[in-house]
Amino acid sequence: MDLVSGYKGMVGLVFGNDNSGSNEDSYVERLLDRISNGVLPDDRRNAMAELQSVVAESRGAQLAFGAMGFPVLMGVLKEERDDVEMIRGALETLVSALTPIDHAKGPQNEVQPALMNTDLLSREAENISLLLSLLSEEDFYVRYYTLQILTALLTNSQNRLQEAILTIPRGITRLMDMLMDREVIRNEALLLLTHLTREAEEIQKILVFEGAFEKIFSIIKEEGGSEGGVVVQDCLELLNNLLRNNASNQVLLRETLGFDAIISILKLRGSAYSFTQQKTINLLSALETINLLLMGGSESDPGKDMNKLTNRTVLVQNKVFDYLLLLGVESQWAPIPVRCAALRCIGDLIVGHPKNLDTLASKVLGEQPQVEPALNSILRIILRTSSVQEFIEADHVFKSFCERNSDGQTMLASTLIPQPYSMTHAPIEEDVRMSFGSMLLHGLTLGESDGDLEGCECAFSYTQGQYPVQGKERFDWIYWRLEVDVRSGNGVTRDGFKKCCWRRSSCKLRLVNELILKQIKGAVMARGDVFVLRIELESPTPSLGAPEPLMHRMVKYLALASNMKNKDGKTSTKENSYVQPIILKLLVTWLADCPNAIQCFLASRPHLTYLLELVSNPSATMCIRGLGAVLLGECVIYNKSGESGKDAFTVVDAISQKIGLTSYFLKFDEMMKSFLFSSVKPTKLHKPLTRSAAASMAEIDDVDEQDSSDHKNEDHPILSSLFDSHFVNFVKSLEGNIRETIVDVYSRPKSEVAVVPAELELKRGESDKDYVERLKSFVQKQCSEIQNLLGRNATLAENLAKTGGSVSSQPEQRTSGGVDRVQAETLRRDLQEASQRIEMLKAEKAKIESEASMYQNLAGKMESDLKSLSDAYNSLEQANFHLEKEVKALKSGGASTPSDVEAIRAEAREEAQKESEAELNDLLVCLGQEQSRVEKLSARLTELGEDVDKLLEGVGDDMGLLPEDSEKEEE
Amino acid sequence: MSYAYLFKYIIIGDTGVGKSCLLLQFTDKRFQPVHDLTIGVEFGARMITIDNKPIKLQIWDTAGQESFRSITRSYYRGAAGALLVYDITRRETFNHLASWLEDARQHANANMTIMLIGNKCDLAHRRAVSTEEGEQFAKEHGLIFMEASAKTAQNVEEAFIKTAATIYKKIQDGVFDVSNESYGIKVGYGGIPGPSGGRDGGSAQAGGCCS
Repeated sequence: MDLVSGYKGMVGLVFGNDNSGSNEDSYVERLLDRISNGVLPDDRRNAMAELQSVVAESRGAQLAFGAMGFPVLMGVLKEERDDVEMIRGALETLVSALTPIDHAKGPQNEVQPALMNTDLLSREAENISLLLSLLSEEDFYVRYYTLQILTALLTNSQNRLQEAILTIPRGITRLMDMLMDREVIRNEALLLLTHLTREAEEIQKILVFEGAFEKIFSIIKEEGGSEGGVVVQDCLELLNNLLRNNASNQVLLRETLGFDAIISILKLRGSAYSFTQQKTINLLSALETINLLLMGGSESDPGKDMNKLTNRTVLVQNKVFDYLLLLGVESQWAPIPVRCAALRCIGDLIVGHPKNLDTLASKVLGEQPQVEPALNSILRIILRTSSVQEFIEADHVFKSFCERNSDGQTMLASTLIPQPYSMTHAPIEEDVRMSFGSMLLHGLTLGESDGDLEGCECAFSYTQGQYPVQGKERFDWIYWRLEVDVRSGNGVTRDGFKKCCWRRSSCKLRLVNELILKQIKGAVMARGDVFVLRIELESPTPSLGAPEPLMHRMVKYLALASNMKNKDGKTSTKENSYVQPIILKLLVTWLADCPNAIQCFLASRPHLTYLLELVSNPSATMCIRGLGAVLLGECVIYNKSGESGKDAFTVVDAISQKIGLTSYFLKFDEMMKSFLFSSVKPTKLHKPLTRSAAASMAEIDDVDEQDSSDHKNEDHPILSSLFDSHFVNFVKSLEGNIRETIVDVYSRPKSEVAVVPAELELKRGESDKDYVERLKSFVQKQCSEIQNLLGRNATLAENLAKTGGSVSSQPEQRTSGGVDRVQAETLRRDLQEASQRIEMLKAEKAKIESEASMYQNLAGKMESDLKSLSDAYNSLEQANFHLEKEVKALKSGGASTPSDVEAIRAEAREEAQKESEAELNDLLVCLGQEQSRVEKLSARLTELGEDVDKLLEGVGDDMGLLPEDSEKEEE
Repeated sequence: MSYAYLFKYIIIGDTGVGKSCLLLQFTDKRFQPVHDLTIGVEFGARMITIDNKPIKLQIWDTAGQESFRSITRSYYRGAAGALLVYDITRRETFNHLASWLEDARQHANANMTIMLIGNKCDLAHRRAVSTEEGEQFAKEHGLIFMEASAKTAQNVEEAFIKTAATIYKKIQDGVFDVSNESYGIKVGYGGIPGPSGGRDGGSAQAGGCCS
C-alpha cells in the first residue's frame, strides 16, 4: 500500500505479494481511461463517481491517481464546462486526492500521497488559473469544491500558490468576491484568504484595496461580534494577517474606516459574566489586533515610529482604554489570558506617549461614590493576583507608566502616605478610598507580617477578613486552603504558603523599587525623596512602638530576610534569596545621588554595622555582598553630611577597618562576574500569545506559575528580570565612581582645621592669654587630626603590607597618593609588565636548563656506553694479540713451557671476566669466538705434542669456567 | 471620518517619474528628493472637498518597475481614477505611455478617469517632451492633462482634485452605479444615498444574486 507498491504496478502483480496496491493501480487506470475515452456520458459520469470514491478511501488510489490522473481531470475541467455534473465530479475527486486519509497504515515516514498530489497540482500555474476561473461558475458545488481545493493547495505549498495567484490577473479579486457569496462559501473563502495572506504583504494590500476590511467587519457584526462563533475568530485571524507588520494597511484602516470597528468588538455585550471558550478566543484575537496596531509596521519601515504613535493616539481617542480596563481590570469574570492581554495593551498604549499617560492617569473605575483611579485598581491586581502572568502584565503597565514620565511618578509618589492604622484593617469596601501610595505601603507592611513566621497566623485571619466570599474566588480559595492546611500542621503547605507570601511581598517591593528608581531618574528627585523620607510608618504591631521612617523599615526587612534564611534553612532559602537583593536594589536606587536619604540611612548607627556585616558575611551570595558594597560606596560618594560619625570619612574608615579595602573592592568584581550581571540582556518577560494554538490559548492559566516555581530551584527568575541592563549599567558606573571617591578621600584628607595664616597672628585687641588659648586649641585640633591621619595611614600601610607581597590582579588604585596616583599607576603597570616578562623569561630559562641537563645526561650515558664498548674492544684486541703471539711462539718454538700456557690461560680467564663485566651481547659473540679460538688452540696444542695432559688439565679448568661465565652473562 | 464619497485612485507610470513624490506632496505636503524605490504598492489617503462635499481619496501608489506589473495590475479594476505620470525630462517615459494606457484599458473598468501628468515641470531647462505633445496625447486618448511638479507642488493639488471633480461629475451624470464598489467609488455616511439606497445594501444584493 505504500509508494513502492503503488508504483510497482505490474511488478507487484507478477510477484503477487501486494495485490491490493496493484489492483487499485489498474483500477484507477481503467477508470481514468473510461473518463477520457468513454463515449456514453453516463458511463463517464459513473466512472468519475467511482474514481472519486476510491480515491477518497485509499492511499494507494490517491497515489495512483496522482501518477496519472491530473491531466485527465484538468482536461475535463477545461473542456467540459457545460457538463456541471462532470465538473463537480472532477472537482470532488480532486478534493479527495488532496485530502490526507487519516487512518495511516504502514510506516510514518512513508510518502503522503495527499501532499505529493498537492505538489503535483500546484506545480502548473495554469492549473491555478483554471481553478480560479471556476469560481465564477453558477453551480454552488463547483465553487465550494474549488475553494476547498485551493485551500488544500495553500496549506501545503503556500508560497507557490501565493505567487501563482498574484500573477493571475484579477485572481485575488475573484477570491475576494467569494466573501460576498452565500454563507458556506463565504466561510470557506475566509479560511482560504487567511492562508493566502500569511506573510504575503502584496496580497494583503490587494485584499485591502478590494475592501477586505469593510467585508470583515460587516461579517463580524453579522455574526454577533465577540459573542459570535468560529467565523468571527476566522475573520479576526484574517484581519490580523492583513495588519501584521503592514504599515500601509494599518494607515488605510486608520484613515478610512477608523479603529472604531475593531474597538467595538472588545465591547462586552449580552452576558458580561459568561466567557465561553469561543468568546475568550474572539476577545484574545481582537486584543491581538490592537497589539498589532500598537506594534506598527515592519522593522525596516522608516516611518514605523510615526505610524505607531499615530495608531496609539487614534486608539485612545476612540476610547480603547474604557474597553481594555473593563476587560483587564474591572471584569471579574474575564479569563486570565484576556485580562493579561488587555493589561499588556494598556501598557503598550501608554509607553512613551504623554497624552495617553495622562488619559490613563485620569481614568477612574467604578460607580459613584465608589470610584477608584484605574491605576489603583491595577496596583491591586499586582498585590492580589495569584497568577504570575497577570502580575507581570500589570507590572508592565506600571513600568510603562513610569518610563519617561516624571509627572506621573511625582503623582504616584505624592500619595505615599500611610493610611491610619484603623484603615489598614478596614474591610474591602473601604479599600477604594486608599490612595495609590497607601496601598503600596500597606502591601509592604503586609509583606512583613507574611514573612514573619510567627506572624503567619495573624496574617491568615487578616487575609480572611480582607477577602470575603464575593472576592476573587480563586485567590480566596488558595488562601483559605492554605490556612486550613497550615492549621492542620501540614508542613509542606506551610512552606508553600511562605513561598507565596514571599513572592507577593517581593512583587510589591519591586514595584516600590521601580517607582523610586524612575523618580530619581526623573527630575522629581528632591521632591520625591523628601516625600518618601518623611513617610513614617504606623507600625502594624504595637510592640515595635514608635513610628519609624520607611527607610529604617526597609533595612529591618533586609535583616529579617537574612534571619529567615538562617532560621529555617533548606526550603525557604531559594525563595528568600531574592528578597534581599530586591531590598538592596531598592536601597541602592534610593540612596543614589540623594544625600538626604543617606543621612536618613546613617542616622541609625546599627545600619552601617549591619551593612558591613552583610558585605563580609561569607554565607551571603556574591550578589548580596556586592550590592551591599555598592550601598556602602554610595554612602561615601553621595554623602554631603558634615556631621562626624555620619560623614564619608567615617564610612570609609569603617570599610577599611572592618572589611579591608582590598576585599571590599573584591566584592564588586565578584558581583560583576556573577551570572546575573554578566548575562544581563534586555529581556522581555512577555511571551507573545501565538495565534496558531487558539484553542489552547484560552486555557493558559497558571501553568506559567508552575514553570517558574520549578525554575527557581536552579536560578531566580525574578532576580534576572530585576537586574535589567539599566540597573546593571547604573551599578557599573557607580562602581567606578566609588573607587575614585574612596581614593579621593584618602588623597585629599579633610582638614578639620582651616589653616588661615592671618588667624595665626595676634588679633588686634586680643590679650596674650586669649591668643595662647586660641593657638592651643588650634594646635590641639591639629594634633587630633594628625592622630586621625596617622591612624588611617596605619590602616593603609597594613593594607598595603597585606597586598604588597603578592601582585594581585586587582587594580590597587587606592595605595597611591592623590598627586602621584597617575604616575604610580603607570609605574605599577610597568612593574607588573616587567615582572610578568621576568616570570616568562625565568620559566623559559628553567625549561632550557632542564632540557640542557637532560641532554647532558644523555650524552654522559652515551659516552660511558661508548667507553665501555671501546674498553672491551681494546682488551679483546689485546687478548687477541697475546694469544696470537702465543700461537706464533708455539708454532715457532714447537714447545712452550707450561708456565707460558699457564700464563695464557690466566690471561684468557681474566679476559673472559672482563668481558662478562661489559654486559653486552655482541661481546658475548666475541667471547664465543674467543672461546672457540682457545678451543682450537688447545686442540692444536694437543695435536702438537707431549704437553697435552698438562694442557688438558688447564683447558679443562678453562672449559669449566667459561660456560659458567657465559651463563651468567645470559642471565 | 465621515465623507460623502470615497474614491480609489491609482498612480501609474514608468519607474522614477515621481509617482511616490506626487503622492507624498499631496498627502503630507512635503518633498523628498531621494525616494526609495516603491516595492509593490504604497497607500496614502486624504480628504478633499468638491462641491462642498467631503470626499475621501484613497490613493495607491504603484511600483513602476516591470517586475511589479503583475502585482500592480490587481489594483486597476477597483480604481475610480488613475494618475498616469511621465517625466518631461525623459522622453522614453512619454513613449511608454501608450503601453501603460493599454494596460489600463485592459484591466481597469471602462469608466476609470485617467489624468495624464507630465511631472518635473520645474526642470524646464532639461525638458524633453513639450507641453503640446502631452496635450496632443491626452486629447487623442481622451485623458485630462496637466503638467505638474512634485518638488514645487505646482499643480499637484489641482491634478488630484480635478480628477476627483471629473469622477464626481460622472456620478452626478449617472455614469456609475455607485452601489457597486468595484468601480472604486463608495458612498459614505454623510453622503447622498446612491440609487440603491444604502452602502451595505449593494453588497448584500450582490451576494444574493451570485448563488
